[in-house]
Amino acid sequence: MRKKNLHFTLAFTMMLFVLGCKKDKVVDPNDGELITTVKVVLTERVSGSQSIFEFKDLDGTGGAAPSKFDEIVLVKGKVYGCNLQFLNESKMPADDITLEVFKEGMDHQIYLSASDVLAVISDYSLDTKGLPLGITSTWTTAATAGTGTLNVTLKHKPGVKAAGDPITKGDTDVSVDFKFSVK
Amino acid sequence: MRLLSAISFLLLFSAFAHGQCILTVRGTVNDADTRSALAGATVTLVELKKTILTDNDGKYALSGICPGDYTLRITHADCQTLDFHFHLKEDLDKIFQLSHAENLLKEVVVVGTATVRPEGMTGELKGKELAATRGLTLGESLQRITGVTVLQTGNNIYKPVIQGLHSSRVLILNNGIRQEGQQWGSEHAPEIDPYVANRLTVIKGAASVRYGGDAIGGVILVEPRLLQYKKEIQGEINLAAFSNNRQGVFSALLEGGFDEKQTTAWRIQGTVKRGGNAKTPDYWLKNSGVEEMNMSAAAGWRKNNKGVELFYSIFNTKIGIFSGSHIGNLTDLENVIRDQSPPSYIRDEGFSYVIDRPYQSVQHHLFKLKAFAEEFGKSRINLTFSSQLNIRKEFDITRTETELPQLQLNLQTHMADLVWEHFSGKKIKGSMGVNAMYQDNYINYRYFVPNYQSVDLGIWAAERYQHEKWQVELGMRFDNRNRFNIKDNDAQPFDLLIGNMLVPGDEYGKRNFSGLSGTGVVAYKFNEHLRTSFTASTAWRAPQVNELFSNGLHHGAARIERGDPTLNPEKAYSILGTVIFNNEKWEAEFGLYNKEIQDFIYLKPVYPALLTIRGAFPAFDYAQTNASLTGSDIRLAYRFTNHLQTHVKASVLRAYDKKVKTWLIQMPSERYEADLEYNFIDGKKLKQTSIRVGMQHVTKQIHVPPTGNIKVTDQGGITKMQSDYMQPPEAYTLFNLEATTGIELQKRRIDLVFGFNNLFDISYRDYMNAFRYFSLDRGRNISIKIKLPI
Repeated sequence: MRKKNLHFTLAFTMMLFVLGCKKDKVVDPNDGELITTVKVVLTERVSGSQSIFEFKDLDGTGGAAPSKFDEIVLVKGKVYGCNLQFLNESKMPADDITLEVFKEGMDHQIYLSASDVLAVISDYSLDTKGLPLGITSTWTTAATAGTGTLNVTLKHKPGVKAAGDPITKGDTDVSVDFKFSVK
Repeated sequence: MRLLSAISFLLLFSAFAHGQCILTVRGTVNDADTRSALAGATVTLVELKKTILTDNDGKYALSGICPGDYTLRITHADCQTLDFHFHLKEDLDKIFQLSHAENLLKEVVVVGTATVRPEGMTGELKGKELAATRGLTLGESLQRITGVTVLQTGNNIYKPVIQGLHSSRVLILNNGIRQEGQQWGSEHAPEIDPYVANRLTVIKGAASVRYGGDAIGGVILVEPRLLQYKKEIQGEINLAAFSNNRQGVFSALLEGGFDEKQTTAWRIQGTVKRGGNAKTPDYWLKNSGVEEMNMSAAAGWRKNNKGVELFYSIFNTKIGIFSGSHIGNLTDLENVIRDQSPPSYIRDEGFSYVIDRPYQSVQHHLFKLKAFAEEFGKSRINLTFSSQLNIRKEFDITRTETELPQLQLNLQTHMADLVWEHFSGKKIKGSMGVNAMYQDNYINYRYFVPNYQSVDLGIWAAERYQHEKWQVELGMRFDNRNRFNIKDNDAQPFDLLIGNMLVPGDEYGKRNFSGLSGTGVVAYKFNEHLRTSFTASTAWRAPQVNELFSNGLHHGAARIERGDPTLNPEKAYSILGTVIFNNEKWEAEFGLYNKEIQDFIYLKPVYPALLTIRGAFPAFDYAQTNASLTGSDIRLAYRFTNHLQTHVKASVLRAYDKKVKTWLIQMPSERYEADLEYNFIDGKKLKQTSIRVGMQHVTKQIHVPPTGNIKVTDQGGITKMQSDYMQPPEAYTLFNLEATTGIELQKRRIDLVFGFNNLFDISYRDYMNAFRYFSLDRGRNISIKIKLPI
């Protein structure tokens, strides 16, 4: 009996070891989740001149501080075409998350807001259902110079996106307050 | 008002039912092993303090007793004390089988004769009280014990808090084995099926040298009943149903022996549980369901003075995390606090059993082998080996399609434990032992705590001296805790960012801690009615890996936590005094404690909130301070008649940060409980019927730091600096009702318990619930519990 018990024990212990030691390193499910960089690409409609402003935090949430955090500087009384890019630059080559946001447009929404009436933002691009998505937009800068902030927010709201959603709805994937000035 | 009239009706009724005091309780006490009469056993009618010794034929008789509920306690020098609860309506003739000490090895080992454990410091849940908690989690069940509260995360995750301390400061012994999961996490509930236990014991305070000096808060014992070495197969089925989250629980147990000689025994047990979304008085909590599937098996062999026992259990759970608690950043948190309610697209969801992301799934295996040899009546040696494997997976809401978790922690633990107990001495009894533990933690996916290995070694001794009315107990323990191979899978902790390059930081390296802990207890018994005890103890706890090395987003709490690799062990010095009084009418327990904890490790808020791509996040660093915890636990019971009694409980705690000179956050506020219980006279079919009306009052926690670094704008637009994003919730009072009965059908008894929790569907939030920011607590919950013998 005792010997039997011993075998039983050994078998169980072995099983635990085997289970415990299975150090399987597979595809990291967090890979697609990390967004390190927000790029705001602005093209002045008349001259076609392009400026790029960036926020970059390579190690994601926590850890080191953002390595790049530009101030958005635009000329007063102009119309700009805005194109947003979300990237994961923690690896080479970088992942373009914008494509995913575009493909899953029905679950995402981008909100842009300028403080101190520095710009009027309109023409948000739409998702396949015709609801605002906002990867591209049109910015009309104020006629007078000023400084403030510009907030870029990317919301993830699988299954619940609807017309007229407030910015508070859903999970926040990106929320960056750029310094913003119109000269 | 209806409640009051019900109470007065009960009072009146009990006055009439008060019958004549002429009844007799008689019978025989036998030795369960030899079946022969046991002479000289003490038979006590506990409530009346009537005592008699059995004669040479093992017979006893107590007469002149009023009808009512009683406990008959039978003790004998070599035997386990037996308590028999019964309702007396007519003369009783009862034969008792008293198990010889030999049968009790497990009982004695688990409870430990030499465990320094004076009365008044411990609380127990068994029998009727335990039956009323069936279907609940371990943490919820333990709340019935004075001085025990819970740290709650939503409505499925409950961590026991003993006198304000929890997580790695509270040790849980599952069937005698130190439960090793990821117990550091405030939202990691103990991975234990309470149906395994037939007794839950809480030892308050750092008084257990036997199980490890790190249990500064206390020890919780989850004890299964003894294996039954009888050949016949027996068992029970437990069913429970709850209205609030439409939860059903099924648990079954089957046990027996293999042979006539009573040398072998076996038992199998399993539990299945499923619940859906819980409901507050105003709305459903989306994605708050729970699933659980557990199994355990035990086998024993014994002959003469030695034996072997095997135990294996597996615990599986999947717990939905309330959707409204999954917030993106600080702004989202501020919004939900401002609105005082989850957003409408979450609160408008109805009932569902479906568990979506975010959720956690945990699997826990425990395997135990115990061997013992005994020199009868003199000493005993126990050797225990155990292995545990804990697999924790946390699944977040993801943008990309994936079946994988975002965080996985695998912890395996192997332990060996050798104990020598000696009990031959008239005045001195005790035990001593050595133990060793090896652990390996392996992480996958997102980083939160590192991989590590550890070896812990301990040696201890505890002795008890008893002389007349005095009892003195002393215990000492030395521990060495060694952590090594501490690393992340591919990165180093505290990486530096230079330009666009991540540069590996310092290696975690090794940590080694050693220290002594000790306990001394002096107890004095004035007479049969009054006892007192005084305990002084020291304990220390090595910093846990999360306290040293965590670095990242704690998803359940939506905050960034950062460890400090330079932390020192925390050391606790505690004193505790108890006075216990009882007579025919009264039962009173009064306990007073003070714990001075040097280098108390806690999470210190860091300002400003950390800036990330997802907005600002509250950040916390692990830091040390000197804490002082002073409090009192009081329990009173008064018996109006043999049918009607009342219980009152109170727990008060003040926790002070002596360095910053302010209150410590996240400590339970005052709790007062009172109930009135009426026991009916047994009917032909219905036995032990009782009804209990209870009330629980929890005060608002006002002992929080008056100011802090968190800028909070209230609804009036006024900005204040606070220590928390939300002020502690208001006080609340809940009522509950419990009705119990046993139906006797052909010699078998079906036990029923009906429960009504939060009877009046009161809306409240509790300070000790991490989800108080996001939603109300649960509303009314009606339950039924059925126990069927097989």
